[in-house]
Amino acid sequence: MSTIAPKSTPTYYDEVVRKGYTRRDFAKFCAMMGAYLGLSQSGLAQVTDALKTKPRLPVIWLHFQECTCCSESFIRSSHPMVADILLDQISLDYTETLMAASGFQAEEAMKNTMEKYKGEYILCVEGSVPTAADGVYCMIGGKTSMQILEEAAAGAKAIIAWGSCACNGCVQAAAPNPTSATPIHKLVSGKPIIKVPGCPPIGEVMAGVIVHVVAFGRIPELDGLGRPKAFYSKRVHDTCYRRPFYDAGLFVETFDDENARKGYCLYKVGCKGPSTYNACGVTKWNNGTSFPIQSGHGCFGCSEANYWDNGRIYSRASAFPGFGIEATADKVGKVALGVTAVALAAHAVATNVRKQNLIHNLEKEGQQSEKDLDNENI
Amino acid sequence: MSQRIVVDPITRIEGHLRVEAEIENGKIKDAFSSGTMVRLLEEILKGRDPRDAWAFVGRVCGVCTSIHSLTSVRTVEDALGIVIPPNAELVRNLMNCALYMHDHVVHFYHLHAMDWVDVVDALKADPKKTSELAQSISHWPKSSPGYFSDIQTRVKKFVESGQLGIFANGYWGHPAYKLPAEVNLIGLAHYLEALEWQKEIVKVQAIFGGKNPHPNYLVGGMACSIGLDDVSGINAERLSYVKQLLEQGKTFIEQVYIPDLMAIASFYKDWGAIGGGLGSYMAYGDFPTNGYRDTTSYKFASGVILNKDISKVMDVDLRKDDEVQEFINNSWYEYKEGDKAGLHPWKGESKIKYTGPKPPFEHLDVTQKYSYLKTPRWKGHAVEVGPLARVLIGYARGREDYKAVVDKALTDLNVPVTALFSTLGRTAARGLESVLVAQWSLEFYDKLIDNIKNGDKRMADMTKFDPDKWPKTALGVGHAEAPRGALAHWINIEDKKIANYQLVVPTTWNASPRDANGQLSAYEAALLDTPIHDSKLPLEILRTIHSFDPCLACSVH
Amino acid sequence: MKNNKVHRLRRVFVWELPVRIYHWLNALCIVALVVTGLYIGSPLVLQSSSEASEKFFMGWVKTIHFIAAFLFFFNFLFRIYWGFVGNKYADWRNFVPTNKRYFKEMWQVLKMDILMMKGKEHLSVGHNAVAGFSYFITFILFLIQCITGFGLYAAMSNFWVAKMFAWVPTMFGGEILLRQVHHWTTWLFILFTVVHVYLVFYHDYVEGRGEISSMGGGWKFIEDEVFDEVKAEKQKKMLAKKEKMETHMKPLT
Ligand code: HEM
Ligand code: HEM
Ligand code: NFV
Ligand code: SF4
Ligand code: SF4
Ligand code: F3S
Ligand SMILES: [Mg+2]
Repeated sequence: MSTIAPKSTPTYYDEVVRKGYTRRDFAKFCAMMGAYLGLSQSGLAQVTDALKTKPRLPVIWLHFQECTCCSESFIRSSHPMVADILLDQISLDYTETLMAASGFQAEEAMKNTMEKYKGEYILCVEGSVPTAADGVYCMIGGKTSMQILEEAAAGAKAIIAWGSCACNGCVQAAAPNPTSATPIHKLVSGKPIIKVPGCPPIGEVMAGVIVHVVAFGRIPELDGLGRPKAFYSKRVHDTCYRRPFYDAGLFVETFDDENARKGYCLYKVGCKGPSTYNACGVTKWNNGTSFPIQSGHGCFGCSEANYWDNGRIYSRASAFPGFGIEATADKVGKVALGVTAVALAAHAVATNVRKQNLIHNLEKEGQQSEKDLDNENI
Repeated sequence: MSQRIVVDPITRIEGHLRVEAEIENGKIKDAFSSGTMVRLLEEILKGRDPRDAWAFVGRVCGVCTSIHSLTSVRTVEDALGIVIPPNAELVRNLMNCALYMHDHVVHFYHLHAMDWVDVVDALKADPKKTSELAQSISHWPKSSPGYFSDIQTRVKKFVESGQLGIFANGYWGHPAYKLPAEVNLIGLAHYLEALEWQKEIVKVQAIFGGKNPHPNYLVGGMACSIGLDDVSGINAERLSYVKQLLEQGKTFIEQVYIPDLMAIASFYKDWGAIGGGLGSYMAYGDFPTNGYRDTTSYKFASGVILNKDISKVMDVDLRKDDEVQEFINNSWYEYKEGDKAGLHPWKGESKIKYTGPKPPFEHLDVTQKYSYLKTPRWKGHAVEVGPLARVLIGYARGREDYKAVVDKALTDLNVPVTALFSTLGRTAARGLESVLVAQWSLEFYDKLIDNIKNGDKRMADMTKFDPDKWPKTALGVGHAEAPRGALAHWINIEDKKIANYQLVVPTTWNASPRDANGQLSAYEAALLDTPIHDSKLPLEILRTIHSFDPCLACSVH
Repeated sequence: MKNNKVHRLRRVFVWELPVRIYHWLNALCIVALVVTGLYIGSPLVLQSSSEASEKFFMGWVKTIHFIAAFLFFFNFLFRIYWGFVGNKYADWRNFVPTNKRYFKEMWQVLKMDILMMKGKEHLSVGHNAVAGFSYFITFILFLIQCITGFGLYAAMSNFWVAKMFAWVPTMFGGEILLRQVHHWTTWLFILFTVVHVYLVFYHDYVEGRGEISSMGGGWKFIEDEVFDEVKAEKQKKMLAKKEKMETHMKPLT
C-alpha cells in the first residue's frame, strides 16, 4: 500500500511520545486495538510498526441528515489514547462539529485537503443524503448534500459510512421517508465503502475501524453487507450474557417484574438480539460500562437496516404489512385460520347439499353390496 | 452602504445553521438565521406505537441525547395517566444531570472556547507563569510548569507539522482575542483534558440506560430494575460507580470549568454589553423532587420574564390553545389555514414546502421564507430559552441556590446584574447552572439510596403498558428543561396509534426566523449591533451564536 | 350413476412406499416445526425455582426444531429426486402445469369440488390437477422455509449445508425481515395442512375410493367404468396422434 501523507509529517509514535505517553502506554494501546481487531501476535507487531512509521492520515468528515451522535460516540471512545490519537493524530481537516473555522474558512479547509491529498484522504460520512426535491432538504454553504458528497467522494481513497444514517438511512428513512433520505452506498460507486452501522456505533468500534485503516493502509475485511467482520460478525444474542436464561426458557414477562430483577432474558419484551449483528455483548458501551440488555432494556436492532420499520420495540412479532400496527403475523394467521375453518365447514355443508345424490348413491351402493353379501342367491 | 455577509456552515455547533448579516459602519444592522436541513420526524411518527416514540425522537439529537426521549415518555405518560415510581423519577433526574454536566462542559471547551482562546498564541506562554496563574485560581492538581510546557511542546510540533487538523484556518491572531498567552495555554490544556473527562460522566447514562449516546427509556418508568441480589440489576456496585462518576463530575466543574470560565470572562467584560437580544425569557422547569406533576417541587423554576423585568415572572400553561403557538410565515412549510395562522402543537402541522433559491446559491432571499425552523411564540411574544433564561427565572423567583451562585459570580467579576443580559451572561449562566446541577445530582443520588434502603424497589409501573387498557383517544403534553432550554412535546393518540406528534424545541425558539409582525427571534435579535472588526472573519458572530449553543437537528427535527 | 348399481372396483397402486414414507415423515416434521417454531417465536414464561444452569428448555425446543429442519430438508430433496424416478403418480409433471389438459382439469375440479357445480366428475387416479398444483405451491413454501430457516441457522453452524445459506441474510438486508418471512410462512403451512386434511377426508367421502387409507397402503380403488373411460380416452388420443402424424408425413412420401 502506498503511504498516505507526505514524508515530513510526524508519525503516530512521534505524536504519542510527544504527548508524554510512554513506550509502554503505546504498546498497551496497540495490544488493545489488536485485541479488538482480533489480531494474532504477528498481526499485532504489524500494527505497532505501522503506527510507528506511517504519517498522519488526512480525513474529511461530512455531516448531512444526522443527529451528530456518531460524532459524539466517536469522541467517547475510551481506551485512553484513542480519543487523542484519532482526534489529533489523524489529520481531521474538516468536521463541522469540532473545527475552529466556520463559513468560508471551513469550506476552504476542505478544499485544501481535497486538492493536496487527492486520492489519499479518507472520507467519513455521518448522516444520510435527502434526494427528494433535488436535494434541498439538506444544504450546506448554499450547496446540496448531494453536490457536496459527489465532490468529496471523487478524490477519496475510501469512504467510511458512520452509523445507521449513512449505512441505511436510519430514522429519517423510516416510512414514509418524506425527504427520500438515502444511504451513502446508493449514491457513490467505484470507491470502497466501509459501513459502520449502529445508532450510533460504539465509540471503540469507530476508533477500531479508523485504526485498522491507518495501521494497515487498507480497509478491514467486510461481510456481505459491507460491515467490518471484526465487529459485526456476531449476533448480540450469541454474545449476550443473558443467553443461559434464554436457553433455559426463563423470560422477563413485563418490565420490572420479579424475573426482570433476576436478570432473565428479555426476549418476550421484544429483544431483537437474535437478529442483530453488533459488538454490544462483547465490547459493550462507554468503555465496557454496560449495554442495553445489561441495563434491562431489550436490544431493538439499531445496527440493522430498516430496524425502524421492521418491527416494534416491545413486540417480537412485527406489524403485518398493510394491517396496521395492531396486527401481527400471529393475529393475521389466527384470523385466516378461523376464516378457513368457517369456509371448510360451509364447504362441508354445501357438499352434503349439492352432492346429495352422489353421496346417497354411494351409500346405497354400499348398502346394496351389504345386501348382496347376505343374499346367498347371487 | 451596507454589506451582506454569509456564514455557512456555522461550525462547532450541532447541525446546519446559516447566518446572513447586513453590516453597516462596522456593526450588524440586520441578521437572518436559517436552518438548512430537515428530516420531518413528526411526519414519520404518525401511525406508530406511542410507546416507541421515545426512540424515534431520541434520534432528533445525539448531542442533547436522552432529553427528547425523556420528554417523550413524559408526554405519553401524561396522555395515558401513568404515574411513575419515585425511583424512576430519580434515575431520570440522575441521567439528566449527567447530560447537563456533559453537554455544558463540552460546549464550553470544545464548541465555544476557541471563540475566546487563541490556540496559536498559547505557544508563546511562559509555562511557569501559567502554572502560577492556574494554581491561583484553582486547586486542580494538573497545573505544574512541566505539565503546561509538555502541552506547549506537543502543540508546537503539531502546528509545525503543517497538518493543523481541526485547528486549520481558525481565526488565530484576530484582534478580538484578548487573553494573555498564559490564559490561552490554560484554555488549550483544559480543552484536551475536558475531552478525556467528558467520556466519563456519560457513563451514568450508560449504567441506567445501557448506552450513551441514545440511552434507553421506557413509558411507565425505567427498564433498569433494582436487583440488589443480581449481577445484572442496579446493585451496590453499579450505584457506587454512579456516585464516583457524579463526584468526579462535580469536581471537574468546580475546579476546572468554573475557574476557567471566570478567568476568561474577566478579560471579556465588554461582551457583557453585547449580544443581549430579546430580553424576554422563558423556562418550563425541571428536576422534580416530588413527582413530575408537582411543578412546585422542581429544582429548575418555570416562568416567563418579559423585557428584562425580573420583578415579574409569569406562569406558562402548555395546554392552553393561545399560549405556545408555531408560525410559518418565514418558514418553508404550509398550513391548511394559510401562512398567517399560529397553531397550538396539538393542532400542529408539518407539511414541508421549500420555496428558497435553487442550490447552489450565494444568498437566501430573505424577503421570502428562509428557514426550515418554524417560529414559536408565547402569547405572541418572542422569548429566549436556555441557561440564561433558567438562571434569571430562578433568580427572579427568589430561589436561594440560584441567588448564591449568581451573586457570587457577579461580585467576582465585578459586573452589575444587567451584564447578564448579554453574550457573556449566557455563557456564564451555563457554567453557573452546571454547578447547581452537579450539587443536585448528589442529592438525587442520596434520595435513591434512601428509597432502596427503605425497601422501595419499584422502577416501573407497567399497569397501563398494554394498549388494550388505553382510552380510544388521548392528548398529552410533556416538558423538560433541555441543556439548551425549554422543551415540550405534544401527542394525540387515536386508536392506540400516534395521530399527531409535535415537538417545539429550545433551538426552535432561539434560532427561528422572524414572525409575521417582524419580531425577531433570539439569535437574530442578539446579533444586532454586534461590532464586526473584519467582515471576512466572522469571529464576533460566532461568539454570540455559540453563546446559545445551537442545535439545529433539534430545532428542525 | 344409476340407482342401485354396484360398481366393480379395481385396485390401483398409486403411492409407492418411498412416497408414503416421505409423506408421513414430512407431515411429522411439519407438525414438529410448526409447534416448536411458534414456541420459539413466543415462548411461555416458565415458573421454576431451579437454577437456569440446570435447565435447557428453550434449548431443547430449538434443538428439536433444527433436527426436524434437517430431516425435513433432506426428505424434501429426496421427494424432488423421486419426482424423476418414481411411478407416474409421483412424477413431477403431476405438480407443474405443462399442458392444456392440466388446466382443463384444474377448471373441472374447481367447478365440481369448490364451486359445487353440476357436471362430469374428473377422472384422475393419482392427484387431481388442483391438488397437484397446490402441492407445487407447497413445495415452493418448503423452499422458502428452508432458505429462510437455513439462512437464520447459517450463523450458528459450521456445517457446510447450513453455510451454503450464509448469503440469505444479506439478501434480506439483515435477519429481522428474514425471521419475519420465516414466521409468516409458518402460517401458510398451518393453513395448507388444515385445508389438505379436510380435502383428503372430503375426497374419501365423495369419491369412495379409499383416499385416506391410500397414504397408508398405497392403494386406491377405482371404478371399472372409470378405468374403461380413461383407457378409451387414451386410445382416442393415441389414434388422433397417429392420424396427425400420418397427415403430417404425407407430403414427404
Ligand atoms: C415447516 C417448516 C418450518 C416452520 C413452520 C418453521 C417455523 C419457525 C418459526 C415460527 C420460527 C420462529 C420465528 C420467530 O418468530 O422468531 C422459527 C425459527 C427458526 N427456524 Fe424454522 N421453521 C421451519 C423450517 C425451518 C428450517 C428448514 C430451518 C433450517 C434450519 C429452520 C430454522 C429456524 C431457525 C434457525 C429459527 C430461529 C431460531 C432462533 O431463535 O434461534 N426452520 N421457525
Ligand atoms: C401435517 C400434515 C400433512 C401434510 C403436511 C401433508 C402433505 C402432503 C403432501 C405434500 C402431499 C403430496 C404428496 C406427494 O408428494 O405426492 C400429500 C398427499 C396426500 N396426503 Fe397428506 N399431508 C398431511 C397429512 C395427511 C393426512 C392426515 C392424510 C390422511 C389421513 C393425508 C393424506 C394424503 C393423501 C391421500 C395424499 C394424496 C392426495 C392427493 O393426491 O390428492 N395427508 N400430503
Ligand atoms: N435545542 C435543543 Fe436540544 C437541547 N438541549 C433539545 O431539546 O440539542 Ni440537540
Ligand atoms: S446513525 Fe443514529 S446516531 Fe448516528 S447520526 Fe444517525 S441517528 Fe444519530
Ligand atoms: S436478552 Fe436478548 S440477546 Fe440476550 S439472550 Fe435474551 S433474547 Fe438473546
Ligand atoms: S439496540 Fe443497538 S446498541 Fe446494541 S444491543 Fe442492540 S445493537
Ligand atoms: Mg416541531
